[in-house]
Amino acid sequence: MSDAPFRNPGWAGNTGEFDLTEEQVRGDDFVGERPKDGGHPSGAGALPYMLAEKEPEAELFEGEYQERFEKILTRYPTKQASLLPTLGLAQELRGYLSPETMDRCAELLDLSPAYVRGVATFYTMYNKRPVGRHLVQVCTNISCNLAGADEVVDAFLRYTDTELGETSEDGNFTVIEAECLAACGFPTCVQINSRYYENVTPAEVPKLCEHLKAEGE
Amino acid sequence: MAYPYVSDHEIRIVSKYFGDPKQRRVETYVERGGYKALEKAFEMGPQGVIDEVKGSGLRGRGGAGFPTGVKWSFMPKDSGKPHYLLCNADESEPGTFKDRELMRWDPHQLIEGCLIGAYAIGAGHVYIYCRGEFFEVNQILARAVEDAYAKGYIGKDIFGSGNDLEVTVHQGAGAYICGEETGLMNSLEGKRGQPRVKPPFPAAVGAFGMPSTINNVETLAAVPHIVENGGDWYRGFGTEKSPGTKMFCVSGHVNKPGNYELPLGFPLMKLIEDVCGGMRDGRALKAVIPGGSSVPIIDAEESARCNLDYEGCIEVGTMLGCASVIVMDETADIVKQVRRMVDFYAHESCGQCTPCREGSSWTAQILKRIEEGRGTEEDLDTLMEMTQQMVGTTICVLSDSVAAPVQSSIEKFRDEYLALIRRGERVGAA
Ligand SMILES: Cc1cc2nc3c(=O)[nH]c(=O)nc-3n(C[C@H](O)[C@H](O)[C@H](O)COP(=O)(O)O)c2cc1C
Ligand code: SF4
Ligand code: FES
Repeated sequence: MSDAPFRNPGWAGNTGEFDLTEEQVRGDDFVGERPKDGGHPSGAGALPYMLAEKEPEAELFEGEYQERFEKILTRYPTKQASLLPTLGLAQELRGYLSPETMDRCAELLDLSPAYVRGVATFYTMYNKRPVGRHLVQVCTNISCNLAGADEVVDAFLRYTDTELGETSEDGNFTVIEAECLAACGFPTCVQINSRYYENVTPAEVPKLCEHLKAEGE
Repeated sequence: MAYPYVSDHEIRIVSKYFGDPKQRRVETYVERGGYKALEKAFEMGPQGVIDEVKGSGLRGRGGAGFPTGVKWSFMPKDSGKPHYLLCNADESEPGTFKDRELMRWDPHQLIEGCLIGAYAIGAGHVYIYCRGEFFEVNQILARAVEDAYAKGYIGKDIFGSGNDLEVTVHQGAGAYICGEETGLMNSLEGKRGQPRVKPPFPAAVGAFGMPSTINNVETLAAVPHIVENGGDWYRGFGTEKSPGTKMFCVSGHVNKPGNYELPLGFPLMKLIEDVCGGMRDGRALKAVIPGGSSVPIIDAEESARCNLDYEGCIEVGTMLGCASVIVMDETADIVKQVRRMVDFYAHESCGQCTPCREGSSWTAQILKRIEEGRGTEEDLDTLMEMTQQMVGTTICVLSDSVAAPVQSSIEKFRDEYLALIRRGERVGAA
């Protein structure tokens, strides 16, 4: 933690009218870090797969990740149904789904490589290309747009000196527009890796980016 | 303690513990009477539960408002096959943000509702299909399910009743169309989330080819309360045809946006003025979208007459949808916002049906042209005709959702379109 006082512009309670801390609202105290092996099989498929630190060459799957993969397999009547959680697991490790990664997942689940690519490309959350350490997704849909989301996008692009979808030179940021993130009451909502930041205004963008650079995840 | 805002007009049933982090813990939930309804449901028997929910008049909160008890009664009784209950937690209709709060503040309420629903329809396994972007919510749910397993509320022989129920949290991967019920089933099966042609309906051939029922988070969250207090009690709130309370997600130009649980039939203007603290900066109201981006826009005059229940919204030419009230003041740029919504549908169309795939992107292009001052008056006729052809001609109703904002805004805010078109003509002439 840096010493600079940082008031996170990132949750709906930061208007000063509520007596809860950010951690309480987010549930950090309740969930904490979920175990890498997935914990109970019922929730093994529900873990973050957008981390700042990525290992593009990591083996699919070893150790705790292998355990988690096996737990996922037990939860569905068909092997095919494990495909989405498996792709998520691969992305969590490697940061994006390269053609080789998709082929490996196909092999693990006895599916054809073409089929897996057809599925993976249907969903927006699978990165088909490498992205920066922080993937910044700014909602510009109607409720956020009414509150000036377009200016928030501009502020991120200006700070990171990038165009939409491009990764900044230092490898820290990739900024894209997102569809409604279901946090419309507190615009503008920005998803950065696995976390939502609400109430983001253009003025706060540089501070937020500095904070992310300093903190890592 | 409350979060974010509260109002005296609220009747808090499903949102009672919003803002109380202790509620996430299974011990607290049980201390406060949790999982009692599940035990009672086992005593009532599946048919007893279905009858009680039918009697409550509870209608699906995912958008269509179909009576929940009736939907449950469509499930076969002795099929000899595995049945599934799917909880639709893929919340992604622009303007909607209630399911996220319901899950992150009170995960056990949803789990208990899922277990009761599964028992009623003879399902042994519940899949909670939770939107992929909700990483925090997914983990809160996963932890809560894990805790409920540890305490024996999920698993084998629950309460020694001989009933076995399994719950799995399934994380989506980013696609609005997976909120459509059959799209969700395909996605759960590890396929592209493309909707299926109906019939066959899910109660006959659903997830993994087996009889399935799908319900929204808010619908299932209300179930434990109905089982505990009775259908008649639930009918004591709301209107005769739209009983009960509903989460209203208010966004846009009001002083206090957020989620409010109110009885159905609540007047729209009272919601804006008394509950949400009025319009921001005291500006005039221009338009409201009362049910999320898929329903027609209404103007200030219609808003003044609108009561927020399924029938009340139809009376003023719109729909309640998921009660996602998007409020726009006089500064809102209607054409830009409609274009933005249509961009969304063009992006999210799954591509199976030509009217939807082509129609949504053509509509978006014409709107963009008008917005940039390059449109003509004939464009408005083209938009009306084209969107008309997108209604009722496709596999799912995503296509119809494009017509709603486009047609209603051209009817009610034609002047704004014409101003952009004429400005363009002037620029062109100069
Ligand atoms: C394009 C489309 C998207 C939908 N998205 C959602 C959604 O995100 N969440 C939801 O609960 N229902 C959504 N629905 C409605 C579901 O198809 C279904 O009607 C609902 O989940 C049934 O639950 P209920 O009876 O409890 O309302 C969507 C429908 C369509 C056509
Ligand atoms: S209407 Fe659109 S989203 Fe629905 S099935 Fe057809 S193409 Fe897909
Ligand atoms: S419109 Fe931005 S989160 Fe819904």
